[in-house]
Amino acid sequence: MIEVLGVHKSFGALEVLRGVSLEVAAGEVVVVLGPSGSGKSTLLRAINHLEKVDRGYITIDGELIGYRRRGGKLHELKESEILKQRKDIGFVFQNFNLFPHLTALENVAEVAALSDARHFLERVGLADKADAYPRQLSGGQQQRVAIARALATRPKVVLFDEPTSALDPELVGEVLDVLRDLARSGTTMVVVTHEIGFAREVADRIVFIDDGVIVEQGSPGEVLDHPVHERTRAFLSKVL
Amino acid sequence: MTSGTLTLVSTKDDDLPSLPVVPARHPWRWVGVAFVLVLAAQFVHGLVTNPAWDWPTFARYFTAQSILTAVGTTIVLTVLGTVLGFALGIVVAVLRMSKSPFLSAVGWTYIWAFRSIPLIVQLLFWFNISYLYQRLSLGVPFGPEFVSFETIALISPMGAAVLGLALHQAAYAAEIVRSGVISVDRGQLEAAAALGIPRFRQFRRIVLPQAMRSILPNAANEVISLFKGTSVVSVMAIGELFYQVQVIYGRNARVVALLMVATVWYIILTTLLSIGQHYVERYFARGDRR
Repeated sequence: MIEVLGVHKSFGALEVLRGVSLEVAAGEVVVVLGPSGSGKSTLLRAINHLEKVDRGYITIDGELIGYRRRGGKLHELKESEILKQRKDIGFVFQNFNLFPHLTALENVAEVAALSDARHFLERVGLADKADAYPRQLSGGQQQRVAIARALATRPKVVLFDEPTSALDPELVGEVLDVLRDLARSGTTMVVVTHEIGFAREVADRIVFIDDGVIVEQGSPGEVLDHPVHERTRAFLSKVL
Repeated sequence: MTSGTLTLVSTKDDDLPSLPVVPARHPWRWVGVAFVLVLAAQFVHGLVTNPAWDWPTFARYFTAQSILTAVGTTIVLTVLGTVLGFALGIVVAVLRMSKSPFLSAVGWTYIWAFRSIPLIVQLLFWFNISYLYQRLSLGVPFGPEFVSFETIALISPMGAAVLGLALHQAAYAAEIVRSGVISVDRGQLEAAAALGIPRFRQFRRIVLPQAMRSILPNAANEVISLFKGTSVVSVMAIGELFYQVQVIYGRNARVVALLMVATVWYIILTTLLSIGQHYVERYFARGDRR
């Protein structure tokens, strides 16, 4: 489904991704762990082309993201074509980024028919908050609306960039419940998070990134309980 | 030790929770109020008792047909200047913010040019354009002409005034719109981009409504200043409010009374604009209410 191959990305002199390759199968839930600044958010943002990569490529269902291959060269797509590709890739931000001047329902309906929008709000358990503005919702509710909005384009894969990091501790649970529900229903998901418990429970595979490279990956049992690499062990000893 | 201290405090101040609160006094405020009231009373007294204000003449002209027509012209100039100015201003702002260096340079140059030329000079230039170009024609440069007009027939004095005001206004409007757009959180654009919302729709549905919150106070300033600025077109002998009162006091020499006619009209209409501003701002703040 998703194929990331040899991706490099620098911000100025700082090389954030140094050759990352990753495959995600349809229906798979991949959780990406790693210390802050390790490049995990950048990797996620590269997948839907919010960040342009310097080297390597990314495909979704075999379709090259952000480029077209013609005559041995990669031609950059026009913005309108990239926007069209992004409908296949849902993205949930750490800070929700709901549109503050639109109600919950209008936020979702911005990318879907009204009836669909209601359906997706219902799916995250917020049908009764349809007419509330983001400011009138708690952080957890806002993030659930953002998830409904990300689902509303009916994407092939949904990317979550630390979806609970901006939440008060008592609100984390309701968002993780929604994620759990999505995982169970077979949604292809890549989740960057610091919630180790959630990763253990929901992930089909855990990918540990440090310093711009994938250090190790495997089932939750392998990576969390029997990490092979010293860096993974050091990270886990700090967060567990 | 600690409990001993607590006991001491509580026995000493045990009626503290029930004591009435006396607000802080501000005697100097009252001195200030008295001072301003005296000044205001003196001003009103002067307005009423000084015959030089000539209120009977004011009353005779305030709702005279010629004045009402002139007020109408002033309103038309303001509305056209605002609508055309902001429409063009949005386009120029979009150019200025374009990723294309060429379009961005075009936007920058427009703003630079029209902010550099004094409005009155620009108005006189448009008014006199038929001296410069007797005919305006559409065609290929150095090649054939398709259609051609007499400039003087195409650009009337009123047309020249609207053109000048709108072009001038657009430069300022562009910067106001741009300031509003760059005040919108970057995450909003990222969210819109991540959802695959087309560019134009992003601007119209996501960015502009949020930008309006910081655009509006500045835009209202501009509209009000344009409204009074229309008095500048009196140099082109267009019958707006200020020109009209000049014509009348030129005939009857009641300068002060007629200037007051214009002043009171400007105050009334500016007040209406300010009230309108309040409601429009409230509309765009709707997501901000709890």
